[in-house]
Amino acid sequence: MKPLMLHGHERSITQIKYNADGDLLFTASKDQTPNVWFSVNGERLGTFDGHQGAVWSIDVSYDSNRMVSGAADRSVKVWDVSTGVCISSVKAKSSIRGVSFSYSGSLIAYTTDKMMGQESEVRITDIRERQDVEDSPMMRMPITPHMMKGLSVLWGSLDTAIVTGHEDGAIVKWDVRTGKNLDRRCEHSGQIDDMQLNHDGSLLITASKDTTARLWDLETFEPMKKYKTERPVKSAAISPLLDTCPYVVLGGGQEAMEVTTTSTREGKFDARFFHLVFEEEFGRVKGHFGPINSLAFHPSGKGYASGGEDGYIRVHSFDDAYYQYKFDY
Amino acid sequence: MPSIDEHGPKSSWADDILDLPPPSVQVEGNTKTLTEYSYDDNDKMIKIISTFRIEKRQVPKAIALRKGWKKYGQSVNDAPGPNSATTIVAEDVTMQFVTVKDEEDAEKEDVKKKLLDQAKGQVKCRICREDHWTKLCPYKEQLDPLRTSLMGDDKEEENAGPVATGSGGKSLGGSGGKYVPPSMREGANKRGESMGNRSGRDDAITVRVTNLSDSTREQDLQDLFSPFGEIVRIYLARDKNTGMPKGFAFINFMRKEEAERAIEVLNGYGYDHLILNVEWARPSGTQS
Repeated sequence: MKPLMLHGHERSITQIKYNADGDLLFTASKDQTPNVWFSVNGERLGTFDGHQGAVWSIDVSYDSNRMVSGAADRSVKVWDVSTGVCISSVKAKSSIRGVSFSYSGSLIAYTTDKMMGQESEVRITDIRERQDVEDSPMMRMPITPHMMKGLSVLWGSLDTAIVTGHEDGAIVKWDVRTGKNLDRRCEHSGQIDDMQLNHDGSLLITASKDTTARLWDLETFEPMKKYKTERPVKSAAISPLLDTCPYVVLGGGQEAMEVTTTSTREGKFDARFFHLVFEEEFGRVKGHFGPINSLAFHPSGKGYASGGEDGYIRVHSFDDAYYQYKFDY
Repeated sequence: MPSIDEHGPKSSWADDILDLPPPSVQVEGNTKTLTEYSYDDNDKMIKIISTFRIEKRQVPKAIALRKGWKKYGQSVNDAPGPNSATTIVAEDVTMQFVTVKDEEDAEKEDVKKKLLDQAKGQVKCRICREDHWTKLCPYKEQLDPLRTSLMGDDKEEENAGPVATGSGGKSLGGSGGKYVPPSMREGANKRGESMGNRSGRDDAITVRVTNLSDSTREQDLQDLFSPFGEIVRIYLARDKNTGMPKGFAFINFMRKEEAERAIEVLNGYGYDHLILNVEWARPSGTQS
């Protein structure tokens, strides 16, 4: 396969996401401008200018009309995807680590960092009301002291619950209506860097610094599978083609601060493909010369994109070999 | 005085480009052919023909609508189609299929090897010079008395060769517990005499290997010679400054027959792209 290399960012990539149709690819990096690209040919549609800090997390609404970004400048901004204009900006008291659109597209959930005397919180805001002035979330759920700060956030179970991933490796499910903590599971021993749902929202995959990724049943919150590597896992995604290609892809590599001390070959910056059920690795794709920070499967399952610490986004479409590969069991 | 006409038209590179035929585009069915002209490094005109396949894709209405959106932000001035400044077609990559078994085995071996390598560097038996603790040496019973009788073993290291130390060494090197430089020891001034007074052990069963490659290590020699019999010690000569092997080594065997067999077999043996030369070491006293 001939990947497309997208070079619109000046610093390391933090998160990439396809929209639901798969024609647009949204990318965020530690520079201050998220980008949006046409995934078919790598043409850049535009950039979202306005943040004043590293953009930690982005999400796209289901209808692809809105994009939300959370940044280290303590703001959440909602953007119009067709024009690149910032529609509303929500101010918080500490930097934003994770943002997520609800399925309906009218609510966003975001997590705030624990810093400057502020406790980490999960908040929900209705973006239909303009909130330029101050932060007045519909609901705020402080992450109690015994829990470490929340990093990533996702909506699940038809917008009745949200799931947060934490610094101590725990994942927590919250009731959206009452704000109560429904369930807390702690299987990982390291910080959770990324959480993704599969195409129908029934499975959750978490990527952790403890060098593993785990698959969860979102409804019961039971751990199901575990994918082991030997380097910290920064991102994991589930293939939408569950029947023909039931695979997951894991990205990661060495800690960014240690990268300069080793060669590319030793760093293991490959995207690694595992069988979803058998937990066995079967394929690797090279390319990045820094750790992979974010991965996303194309919604058709016919390709994937990866964004790395090196600032590049690589958009791959699978060869026939990928579809013809027979898993040996 | 050169006239302007001589240089005029050729000197300007801008004019050169004007000479080129204009690029042309032809669309035939679903192929587009773009013909361009330019100069290569040797100032020769070259013609570049790029052929594009025009693909029509049916997409949902929403996607088609999005295709028509105007670019914005930093891309507002980009022409239709990918901008080569931000979109690069990368080199071909293939998915490498791995089986977990291979991977694990390789890794395990790797770790094992690393550990062994580490141990090799750190632990060295004082008796037989192999990589285990002196206390655990299998030859302790046989060799230890011999060693103590030949105290000053360490001195051997410094003399590049199977040099047995003089019998006087014992009383000097060991007893006081204080280091006495070789040059200050008794008998240092009577070098020739002490050399002649060697015990028969070393010379008789020392094999000299020459024409070794630079990458040879002690362990390689160990692997190469140990099938023939027990090895007392291996000395691989190294350059003092660079630490690189000098290309020859001495192997001390326990038994003469085994050493003989090693010479028989390994002399002329191709090792590491070189032909080994294996022979009996000449007693160093006879070297001129």
